[in-house]
Amino acid sequence: MQIFGVLLPEKQLLSDYFRQFMQGKGGIIVYLSLMGLLLGGFGIGCIFVLGHGHTTNTSSIVPWGLQISTYVYFALVSGGCIFTNFFGNMFFHEKYAPLASRVIFMGLITAIAGFASLASELGHVERMYMFLLSPNPTSPMFWMSVWYTADITILLVEYINIQRHRHSKAMLYASFIIPVITYCSLGSLFGAVGTMPYYYSSLLPIYFLFSGFLTGNALCAIIAAFYFRNSGGYRMVRPFFRMQKIAISTVFVLTFCRIIIGLANNLSGYEVFRETFLQNVVLGIGVALVVPFIILMYRRTLGGLILSSLLVLGTQFMSRLDLVVEGFRVPVFRVYDMPERINYMPSIFEMLVVVASVSIVVLVYVIGEKTGLFEIARKEIH
Amino acid sequence: MDTFAHKDHKDILEIMHEDLQRALKKPRNQRRWGMAIDLKKCIGCHACTTGCMSENLTPPDIHYRPVKEEEIGEFPNVSMRFLPRPCMQCDAPTCTSVCPVTATYKRDDGIVVIDYKKCIGCRYCLVACPYGARSTDVGHFYTGDMKGQTYEVENSGEYGKTFKRKSHWHSPIGNARKCHFCIHRIEKGELTRCTTTCLGHATYFGDLNDPQSLIVKLVSKLNVFRYKEELGTKPSVFYIV
Repeated sequence: MQIFGVLLPEKQLLSDYFRQFMQGKGGIIVYLSLMGLLLGGFGIGCIFVLGHGHTTNTSSIVPWGLQISTYVYFALVSGGCIFTNFFGNMFFHEKYAPLASRVIFMGLITAIAGFASLASELGHVERMYMFLLSPNPTSPMFWMSVWYTADITILLVEYINIQRHRHSKAMLYASFIIPVITYCSLGSLFGAVGTMPYYYSSLLPIYFLFSGFLTGNALCAIIAAFYFRNSGGYRMVRPFFRMQKIAISTVFVLTFCRIIIGLANNLSGYEVFRETFLQNVVLGIGVALVVPFIILMYRRTLGGLILSSLLVLGTQFMSRLDLVVEGFRVPVFRVYDMPERINYMPSIFEMLVVVASVSIVVLVYVIGEKTGLFEIARKEIH
Repeated sequence: MDTFAHKDHKDILEIMHEDLQRALKKPRNQRRWGMAIDLKKCIGCHACTTGCMSENLTPPDIHYRPVKEEEIGEFPNVSMRFLPRPCMQCDAPTCTSVCPVTATYKRDDGIVVIDYKKCIGCRYCLVACPYGARSTDVGHFYTGDMKGQTYEVENSGEYGKTFKRKSHWHSPIGNARKCHFCIHRIEKGELTRCTTTCLGHATYFGDLNDPQSLIVKLVSKLNVFRYKEELGTKPSVFYIV
């Protein structure tokens, strides 16, 4: 297995870039993301050294917070990248081919970044081996871990194949099917909690699939826009406009259905849908879906695509946090001085975990880009 | 016939203790521990809560058996209702099926337990529990730091094992925690702490598989309900109204 040139940049290119970096010419994004990684690493370090009790705002009342929603967000972005890769290869291969290695690589590092957020959230991350020693087949989380591992594996294999100019239809289909199962499992992890009305829904696995496609495609659209900004322009990225409109439309329908179903119920816990109705409609649908759609319709430029994509990425992050945390808004057993409605604000350390996750993605990708890791046309076929 | 009347005029605790001794003679898989709480007798003194905290050495913000206080009606027609909530020890628990590493499971005597050595602290069972009966130990101390007083770092004795909360790398810190019907006391032939500390003897504990036990006589009445039993969890804690 050849590492340099496939999994890592060529040695010479890497050392050249490192020299530029030390001279202060590495690019502002790299310095910023490196700083973010250091800050985020400090936050994660504090969580491990000081413990959750002194660093995070999750508790028995709000068991899951920003770290879980960050994990869900990046996991879905990873899945979305893979879906974009599948549709790109299937329907517009000529325009998509130069982006394939970038998209798969992005899917890979977002999956790893998400896991970093999850690892800092577990009370005893050092016991992860219990997934192997003492598995529980009835647990959606167990199956999510199984398929997540398979997902990362298939991503790695697909990436190596692209870098080495090996194209396999079977592998392409496998790299589509496994993420579907993976992120349906992630959705069922929430949807299976029948006693938490805000989560409970057979709709949630499907919702996760399409919102993953939405965010993943948005990220890939940004990659495509930067790649084609000096050649081709709008014509080359038009498929991303189409895919993004389809993604926004489907997520719109699913979000609308979920809100309507929630509003129609009177069981205890469903009042969260009524209390967050304005927020869900104005922000969750209006700003997160309608505005990006309008931008795509009336600004058919690379700038429009980037603007729409950034808006989607930002608002979907807030949507993930709302989804995770709003489930705990109404306590199931209110006692003592517990408020009637729970409010959760992430701590600075939890925010630093987000900074770390984002920085990992940006730093690794940009370095890969600057060192020509994805320029497979220059490489000889092995 | 008055349920509580016996020719020997024994105290309720004595009766339950005899029931307990009789149950312990049977194999474990033939027992089925249950609890009954008489809401007419409960005065909301929280003695069961503090007794449980003392017995299991729970840190701040963890209460195995809190008491919900509800005000009913409007002045001048007002009354109070108190609802102690231990773990329901459900026959169909929602928490055990979601644990990814089988750290929490239902024993054959009906008690739902947590294996502190396996728990990874993902808190999925907290999300899944409809009663809010589970807590996560994030590592808080009454003194606010890791250099806790002797009380806080002593062996809690839960599950009959040694667990010291020395640091956040040591269980049960980082784990899910919950009421387990004072397993370590039961297996020594003692009633649960909340049963013995209850001022008005509102709490009853015993073997639901023993037709002669006091608790079976109590819960075989029409004035008994189980909290949120419409969820299908089949709780083993009964409320008498």
